Amino acid sequence: MTAVTPAVHDARLGLRATAGQAAALARRSIVRIMRQPQVIVPNLFFPTFFLVINNASVGKAAGLPGFPGDRYLPFALAGTVLQAVMLSSTSAGSEVALDIESGFFERMLASPVSRLAILLGQLAGVAVFGALLALFFAAVIAPFDAVMKAGIGGYVVLVISAVFLAVTFGGFALALGIRTGSVEATQGAFPLYFVAIFISSAFFPVALMTPWYRHLAGNNPVTFMIDGIRDLTLEPFSWAAAANAIGVSFGAALVAVLVAFAALNARLAQR
Amino acid sequence: MSNSPPIEAEGLVRTFGEVRAVDGVDLVVNAGEIYGFLGPNGAGKSTTVRMLTTLLKPTSGRARVAGHDVVAEAAAVRRAIGVALQDAAIDPILTGRELLSLQAVLHGINRKQGKARSEQLLERVGLTAAADRRVGTYSGGMRRRLDLALSLIHEPSVLFLDEPTTGLDPTSRQSLWEEVRRLNADGTTVLLTTQYLEEADQLAHRIGIIDGGKLVQEGVPATLKAAVGDPTLRVDVDAGHAEAARAVLAAHGEERPARAGRVAIGLRGGAESLPAVVRALDEAGIRIQHMELDAPSLDDVFAEATGRRLEGADAAAPDSESDSGPAAATDVDAHRGRP
Repeated sequence: MTAVTPAVHDARLGLRATAGQAAALARRSIVRIMRQPQVIVPNLFFPTFFLVINNASVGKAAGLPGFPGDRYLPFALAGTVLQAVMLSSTSAGSEVALDIESGFFERMLASPVSRLAILLGQLAGVAVFGALLALFFAAVIAPFDAVMKAGIGGYVVLVISAVFLAVTFGGFALALGIRTGSVEATQGAFPLYFVAIFISSAFFPVALMTPWYRHLAGNNPVTFMIDGIRDLTLEPFSWAAAANAIGVSFGAALVAVLVAFAALNARLAQR
Repeated sequence: MSNSPPIEAEGLVRTFGEVRAVDGVDLVVNAGEIYGFLGPNGAGKSTTVRMLTTLLKPTSGRARVAGHDVVAEAAAVRRAIGVALQDAAIDPILTGRELLSLQAVLHGINRKQGKARSEQLLERVGLTAAADRRVGTYSGGMRRRLDLALSLIHEPSVLFLDEPTTGLDPTSRQSLWEEVRRLNADGTTVLLTTQYLEEADQLAHRIGIIDGGKLVQEGVPATLKAAVGDPTLRVDVDAGHAEAARAVLAAHGEERPARAGRVAIGLRGGAESLPAVVRALDEAGIRIQHMELDAPSLDDVFAEATGRRLEGADAAAPDSESDSGPAAATDVDAHRGRP
């Protein structure tokens, strides 16, 4: 048994400490994802499954007048990445709800950890996973001659956008998890994500939809997120398209982080 | 930290709707003390601890921990205290070493010092060999020891342990008690909540009995027990001699309730009067089958203060529990006091 040494802690919690705490919690979040195959596999399988099914069922639509591009797979890349990121990012909500149910969240609150670090740490985990998913799906369709017309710049924007989209959906899921503190309630919101993605331009161009559906999909924020990325998939690189893709996803991410922070503050205020 | 007591509370109240979970608790825990908060489930122990550890805001009243107000200076309190809450809340996916590392960062300890401190604590709680195993594979006792190590990563001056041995087998329980004693010997002030009488008796320098959200009795265990009255002498005699034994024993103390075939009295003069009792029974021709003398227990103290026996608290009860896995049993229902 060793003796207790003099105090070793540096209690000053400035920006640097917050960044360190967020990084440590992000590492925990990533480790948790990577050690749970049941979390990873569905996020790879289902978007791939839908991509294959959609390509087989509506792939011929790529020949219709008004269809963006001339092939379905490049068109579907943005929607597939968004779908995968959306599915995976919702785990941020159930993870935090699990922490609340298990008491781990209280353990963190009983320490001098920055509240912002708790959020950023959780979101950083899904952001990293989102970036990996974007690369994975880009790699999956590449052998079928389905590459981004914007080239390397397009792929960089794809990954950056995927990160912000992960923060967006992760942030909203986190807010729900923090507010309810219930894994079941968080997972209960899952169908809403499917509705949001299917009433969008994820798998079919808005211009070719029936009028009422076009109205819904055209005003769905998810459509704006997808179309920003899609412009770089189907067109040569332009800074305007890159700024649009990143700007839309960044703006959405910012809103989501603010909502999650408000949820955390509301929970803490209730104590 | 100033010269003020490490833990002090004044008129602490916490309500949940109409329920007053904690109802005006005044508390002072002195430096270097182990203070045992004793009470049944729902008495208000954990709610009080959660207020003192800044996890819950008091509805009214004030509390200072490590010299800081728990509401106005919550961050300073969190830096000074270690907390091991009820139901060791440990991430089962991570390893013990990873969790200690994370806890060190959360407390602002730099990487090198955090690593050294983690190794030291793993050794201290006997988890070095299991440090790289996922916590989900730990037994209940191992999780509790890791929980304790996590709460000590920043060498807190004040340690809160909320029912630290609930669900542990007797061996794990003893091991944790020893560790708490060692920590206290190193200068850490400890406030522990428990529903186990023996735990409070063995560990605490002073105890506070809480019931219905109120602190109903407080003091040094030995003093509290002595104040309850004479020890209970229980004598089993041959069938048919109970009445004669009762007559003989009446001269040595007031009769107390006992089961059939047994006579019990509050023995005046305590153990020193025992030889005289034996001689008197012998002279009356009464053969003693069995005799036992029980000093007043904390359960008697609890009963005196609340009019009830403490449910779910018994020294022997943990024997019936297992420590075979993370989901070890957590509750018992037995009484130390018996007729």
